Amino acid sequence: MKKMHSNKLHIAIFLLPALLLFVGVLIAPIVMSTYYSFFDWNGFGAKTFIGLSNYKELFSSNAIGFMKALVNSLILALLSVGIQLPFALWLALKLGKGIRGERAFLSVYFMPVLISTVVIGQLWLKIYNPSYGILNVLLRSIGLDNLAKAWLGTKETALGACFVPTLWQYVGYHMLLLYAGVKSVPPELREAAMLDGATEGQVNRFIVIPYIKPILKISMIFAITGSLKSFDLIYVLTNGGPLHATEVPSTLMINMLFLRNRYGMGSTIAVLLIVLCFGFALIINAIFREED
Amino acid sequence: MAFFTHGDSLPDNKHGKKRSGKLGGGISYGILLLWALINLFPVYWMFTFSLKNNEEIFGENVAGLPKHWLWSNYSTALNTGEMGKYFVNSVIVAVATIVITLVVALMATYAMSRLVWRGRKMMNKFFMLGLTIPIHASIVPIYVTLSRLHMLNTYWALIIPYSAFSLSMGILICTGFMSELPYELDEAACIDGCGVWGIFFRIIVPLMKPAVATIGIYTFLQCWNELMFANIFISSSTYKTLPVGVQALSGQYLTEWGPIGAALVMATFPTLFVYIFLSKRIQESFIAGAIKG
Amino acid sequence: MKKFLAMLLAVLMVVSLAACGGKTETPAAPAAPAEPAAPAAPAAPAAPAAPAEPSAEPINLEMWCIATESDSNRHSYEAAIAEVTAAHPEINFTWEATENQAYKTKIKAAVAANEMPDIFFTWSCAFLGDFVEAGRVYCLDEVYENFKSELPEVMMGNSTYNGSHYGVPLTMNIVGLFANMEILKSVGYDEVPGTYTEFIECCDKLLANGIIPFGCAGKETWCVTEYLESVIQKSCGSQVLGDIFLGKATWNNADVASAVDTFQGLVTKGYFDPDGIALTNDEVKANFMAGKYAFYMNGTWNCADFAANENFKDKVQVAEFPVINADKATLGQLIGGPSDTLAVAASSENAEVAANFTMELGRAICHYGYLDGCGLPAWTPNYDTSSVNPLTQTVSEIVANSNAMVLFGDTAMSADSANTYLDYVALVYGCEVDGAGFVEGLTADIG
Repeated sequence: MKKMHSNKLHIAIFLLPALLLFVGVLIAPIVMSTYYSFFDWNGFGAKTFIGLSNYKELFSSNAIGFMKALVNSLILALLSVGIQLPFALWLALKLGKGIRGERAFLSVYFMPVLISTVVIGQLWLKIYNPSYGILNVLLRSIGLDNLAKAWLGTKETALGACFVPTLWQYVGYHMLLLYAGVKSVPPELREAAMLDGATEGQVNRFIVIPYIKPILKISMIFAITGSLKSFDLIYVLTNGGPLHATEVPSTLMINMLFLRNRYGMGSTIAVLLIVLCFGFALIINAIFREED
Repeated sequence: MAFFTHGDSLPDNKHGKKRSGKLGGGISYGILLLWALINLFPVYWMFTFSLKNNEEIFGENVAGLPKHWLWSNYSTALNTGEMGKYFVNSVIVAVATIVITLVVALMATYAMSRLVWRGRKMMNKFFMLGLTIPIHASIVPIYVTLSRLHMLNTYWALIIPYSAFSLSMGILICTGFMSELPYELDEAACIDGCGVWGIFFRIIVPLMKPAVATIGIYTFLQCWNELMFANIFISSSTYKTLPVGVQALSGQYLTEWGPIGAALVMATFPTLFVYIFLSKRIQESFIAGAIKG
Repeated sequence: MKKFLAMLLAVLMVVSLAACGGKTETPAAPAAPAEPAAPAAPAAPAAPAAPAEPSAEPINLEMWCIATESDSNRHSYEAAIAEVTAAHPEINFTWEATENQAYKTKIKAAVAANEMPDIFFTWSCAFLGDFVEAGRVYCLDEVYENFKSELPEVMMGNSTYNGSHYGVPLTMNIVGLFANMEILKSVGYDEVPGTYTEFIECCDKLLANGIIPFGCAGKETWCVTEYLESVIQKSCGSQVLGDIFLGKATWNNADVASAVDTFQGLVTKGYFDPDGIALTNDEVKANFMAGKYAFYMNGTWNCADFAANENFKDKVQVAEFPVINADKATLGQLIGGPSDTLAVAASSENAEVAANFTMELGRAICHYGYLDGCGLPAWTPNYDTSSVNPLTQTVSEIVANSNAMVLFGDTAMSADSANTYLDYVALVYGCEVDGAGFVEGLTADIG
């Protein structure tokens, strides 16, 4: 048995497809991107090696506005962890303890996750439309005409207007993950606590939440890396505009790669994004480990 | 609506009896209902404006049911937008991606969690790296590779990258499920004369059914939504997928919302219907996957 | 035909401005304009027996372009392709149209991977220039010899690099000031005001009557440049703007700064639709056609859509933007030039056949595009042009009277500079920076 299970050929055959796919499609491009990030290159002409100049320019140039894009995505991450996750957790706790219509709520809340991001984007474009969008129509109909505005076109509101659908769409996703955790809490634990006279809040705080910590961790990693990587919805809604107010690193990267012909700089952003996502994943892991 | 007709509460709802009714309960129930409304309304609005003309959408009848049910919007989206074709393409890509992800992830997980070799833990961590890589970071290198392999403008141009990007999640979920299976199973099968392949196909794979559903959903969500790869890797309309089609049609009918609405509905409702029918199973496997993953 | 000759001559005079950057050597003695007298070829330009060997094996040619269903050029592409493919049964032609913004991404990825289609749509000057520099574009000098009589060399200027031709121009367009005459009449104007003072008076009157003077899509910054570039040109003169765009002068110019302030003044006075900042050009255009704005400044390719709309075609007129500073600028200074171009990939297996095919296709697209009103012809028309819509005819009169032309800034500049420029234009439109800040920023970031 042991011999069979450590047969090198078997191991290789079982692992090979995954390795090929993974290295070929994910790792190799990263290596290539890292390499290109040291060059001044438009993607098809001659390359000039410039060392770390791209990295320096990225952090120092106001024209590129990388720091602003980064801050935007960090704000999104913060909102995601600060509002989206707590709300999803609250929903999960409410539904998880058993409530009338639990199943129906669960289904409805998960629905936006199933809708294609492009569809969500197009739909919200219509909702935000300054002239005919349902949001402004609603505001005008209740007499708040002065609140009606070009939500995605005004610098002050565009970022918020982009974040609302982003956060909204994935509440259901986190809710279902956390709900799964809540459901897995052994009923005996909960009942014992109730017998001891614990209130619902106390049960949640001292029994349920500690029990679902591993899932909270996964949720948090997804929320933060998801925010840093966010692209599709913002691409459809504003593509970074107006005046770069809604720029996030991914939109900036696509901009560099395909609009400005700065392939080296685009690769630099790609590398930084990967490092950031990975760094945050490690940090969250470490935080949760420390708490244990 | 169909969501409310089935299983209003779980049958095994032991601890649901003692509802903390009263005021607090009332408020939170109100919030739950309100949130449900917020989730349902966009879908409802999308459905109604897909059947209206501009006059109704833009003023006379913003949120009500259509006065004249304009089914012609759907034929416009189907004929001009070729939504039917794109839908089929999306399904083909999604199904193939799910199958490949499943097979590859199961095999790799088997190698890393049941077979014995040094470095298997490291290998697992290596695959987990994929969870943090943004898909857009690698567009051009993948494009170049695909073009060398003459795979641009085929279904493979999407299936392969999508599978690769779903792999990490697949392995994560599989590892959770597979580590639950007792080792004695393998040993018993080995004594019965099964080889590694026999154990894998006859013992392990059949026991991984819940993982299959979970991975299926995760993978589906990933590839059903993707826009950027689909736009760049496919230029022939024979292989275009729904997100590209929806985006293109919205560009064409910017000022006529009806056909766009129809396209949005066509891109959304089939999945929603499948979800409604299978919601219980989907949720359960999602739940199982989450706990074990 | 006479009109057209005049127009050509006008363009000839300004070729040094319209030509692209330092890469181009202006032809020292441009060929005389084509002989329009002998339109020997019948309406359907029959192929002059292309060097395509009559092998049984069909030749596959693929083309990418941006003529999607909603594009005003769609019909001319369809008609031209039907015509040219019918004349070339030996060629198996396929084509795909992608929406403008997505197309830019797509074609650049394809160029990076050297996976371009045989024939591709491109904008002239810098956009094509980058590809040419990387050696990805097939040189058309040889095949051009066969078409020289129909395609004046000056029209090739924007796709000529180091004296070699790399692109087939289709149509040329300028920025036009479109006016809804029904609205202008309602405030007492029978024609578009000819001087800047009158023009501003007219705008004030419109505003006083609750009508928004200008429609402009803030979501697509190039639409803002259609206004801004005209204002700069009519304040500082063509030469100044042209030199800056082509990198012969820096942005550091006080006149430009004050022209930008003039433009910003129009914005702060509320001449522009405040909703416009969140709208796309198609939406703004639809609003204009629905009578929401009095004026709409945009490319003259719009003539096609305006003329095709039964309700709107009688209301709309096109004019030249008035002169703001008569000391420096004159009427006849225009923004525009040949930009829409087809090119052949150097990697094409049948590049020679493709080059000839592209020439014929370009000629046919130009033919149908002109008749549809999508722009003025880059190719000398040798067909009946009496059916051209009145709007486009007015445009050709404007061009015939022009004495200087500056190509659209975002086409003339390299991709990186162009996007930096667009960023600053957006800042000006959003009133985030003033003229001084605009000039200062661009001097620092571009030069």
